[in-house]
Amino acid sequence: MNVLIFYSALFCYLLSSLAYLVYLVYNKKTVEKAGHYALLAAFFIHLASVVFRYFQAGHTPITNMFESLSFFAFCIAGFFLFLKRTYAISSIGCIVLPAVSLLLIWALTYPTDVKPLPPILKSYWLPIHTTFSFLGNAIFFISFLVSIIYIIAEREIKRKKSFLFSARFPSLETLDLINYRCMSYGFPFLTVGIITGSIWAGFAWGSYWSWDPKETWSLITWIVYAILIHNRLAIGWRGKKTAYLMIAGFISMLFTFLGVNFLLGGLHSYM
Amino acid sequence: MLGTVVKQGATPEEYLALYSENTYKIITLFGLDDAYHAPWFIALIALFALSLVLCSLRRLTLFARETKVVMLPGEDKLLKMDLHSYVPEKDFDEVLGLLTRRYGLAVRDEQGVVLEKGRLSRYGVFIIHASIIIILAGSFIGLLFGYKGFVTLKIGETKDRLVLRGKDPAEMPLGFAVMCKDFKVSFYPTGEPKDFVSTVEIVENGKIVAGKEIRVNEPLSYKGIRFYQSHYGSTPVFFFNVGGERVVLAEREAFRKNSLLLMVARYERKVHDFGPGVLVAYLDGNEPKATWFLKNVDRLREQNLQGIKVNLNDIQERPYTGLEVSRDPGVFVVWTGFVFILFGLYVNFFVRHRRIYLLKTAGGPLVAGTALKNKGNFDKEFKKLLEEIHVHTP
Repeated sequence: MNVLIFYSALFCYLLSSLAYLVYLVYNKKTVEKAGHYALLAAFFIHLASVVFRYFQAGHTPITNMFESLSFFAFCIAGFFLFLKRTYAISSIGCIVLPAVSLLLIWALTYPTDVKPLPPILKSYWLPIHTTFSFLGNAIFFISFLVSIIYIIAEREIKRKKSFLFSARFPSLETLDLINYRCMSYGFPFLTVGIITGSIWAGFAWGSYWSWDPKETWSLITWIVYAILIHNRLAIGWRGKKTAYLMIAGFISMLFTFLGVNFLLGGLHSYM
Repeated sequence: MLGTVVKQGATPEEYLALYSENTYKIITLFGLDDAYHAPWFIALIALFALSLVLCSLRRLTLFARETKVVMLPGEDKLLKMDLHSYVPEKDFDEVLGLLTRRYGLAVRDEQGVVLEKGRLSRYGVFIIHASIIIILAGSFIGLLFGYKGFVTLKIGETKDRLVLRGKDPAEMPLGFAVMCKDFKVSFYPTGEPKDFVSTVEIVENGKIVAGKEIRVNEPLSYKGIRFYQSHYGSTPVFFFNVGGERVVLAEREAFRKNSLLLMVARYERKVHDFGPGVLVAYLDGNEPKATWFLKNVDRLREQNLQGIKVNLNDIQERPYTGLEVSRDPGVFVVWTGFVFILFGLYVNFFVRHRRIYLLKTAGGPLVAGTALKNKGNFDKEFKKLLEEIHVHTP
């Protein structure tokens, strides 16, 4: 039942991806609208799937790879919808939504059954810590995509060429502004994620900081983004340099999330 | 000038130094495990903290200078601002009354007023940096005055010392005793552990002063020392009959009966194909000897040592609970730092400093406004304010 809801959400995300890709090619307003509604439908069906799984499992469904990837994709879709309200960034949907769909397909390669909760995860901090962390991750994922578009667009503008469908993408200033917005939301969320994790560790492991690989890598990620913020606010870096740092920060974050789970292990690896 | 150099040069540098050292640490984590407490690492953190302190002090002096500077600019300056408008048909006090609904009064003189909102946001960066210093200070207190270790308790066992973690495990007195009244593990149908609970009592000066069911995520705290459920296991106990006397021994435990001194030297769950067995060491005169007792082999279950009949009656597994013990007097300092850093981040990213100037001029009251961050949003707010002023009837 739960997996059925999940599949219908994935179906809507794929529809939405298709609509945004068609919109990119033909620039039809109606197609963009269709993409938007498909995205809204997908988001709410996905929400239903998360809520349903919460009641089915009896705990916050962010405890293994399937649930984590699904929740990560859900946060990305949610933040994209949030950004769409303020900025005209529909064209980015042709990258964000295929990414969301791919994440969900990837999630399906892991066992989807509800596993019993290990004692260490039985805590009120589980929903708080994971929600903030994944929101931070999702926000920085979008800024990562925006940064890549920024770098490509800027290079083509410098060469005085127009890249494929370049006219449909937002201006460099808008992209940079979105990057700034992502930074100003993502960084506080990441910080709250680390702090709540630290407080939880204080109750569960006997120490608020034990230099476990995940903790260390999340700190490294935090420092990369802190450098980015300093460079932007104190030195006044804009555009390309921030975009490169955003990409660096995301790679570090990706390693925190996946690399530590797959390669390093430690107290924090839940598969 | 010096301060500028420190902030813009040293802080990112410090960050980068910390970053590469950490990466290096990750790589060496497989071999070197206590590098996070290495002197050079702590020195690096101290350097980082020092640069933060200098940076914050510089910011403080800036604040001190700035507060004196706030004053009402002249008409020509206000006209240069992006957002300004004359409201000739309105009375100065009427406009002021409307503006003070949402803005606080900063400066007032004969010619006009300066109003502002979100002044706190100017202190955001300072709050964040200060709270990082607080967190580092808290962790340093923990490093100096705290410790980490563990105790293992069998059901009914009482201990007043803990084993410190580290390269050479040492014992340390707790200052009181912990007693394990009960310990239970429950499993899911899949065989994975569901819950483990130790019922523990704290005994001080012969009196029970505290008690709790310690679970994972639910530690017991007494006098700043916390006990966490961390692991569990079981140890075997051996039931002997030594010359007609029933004796229960654990591994490495010794027992004397008349001239016989014996000790359980080693336990094997499977001795070849003969099932569980214990190697019992004893003294033959001054010469140490050892012999195997096998539970399932009749001939080896009962043996004569130094003329005394020794019988291995049973071997049982007794569960024990492993409790992590830690004392960290800096933890509340760190948590205070956490609260402040969250507040600082909120102030820095979500509170916006905005100023509105109201001046008496020959052409009627002049309203102007400036904002440092999120100008587009302030644009809308300013227009709304002007509209409100225009429609308002006294």
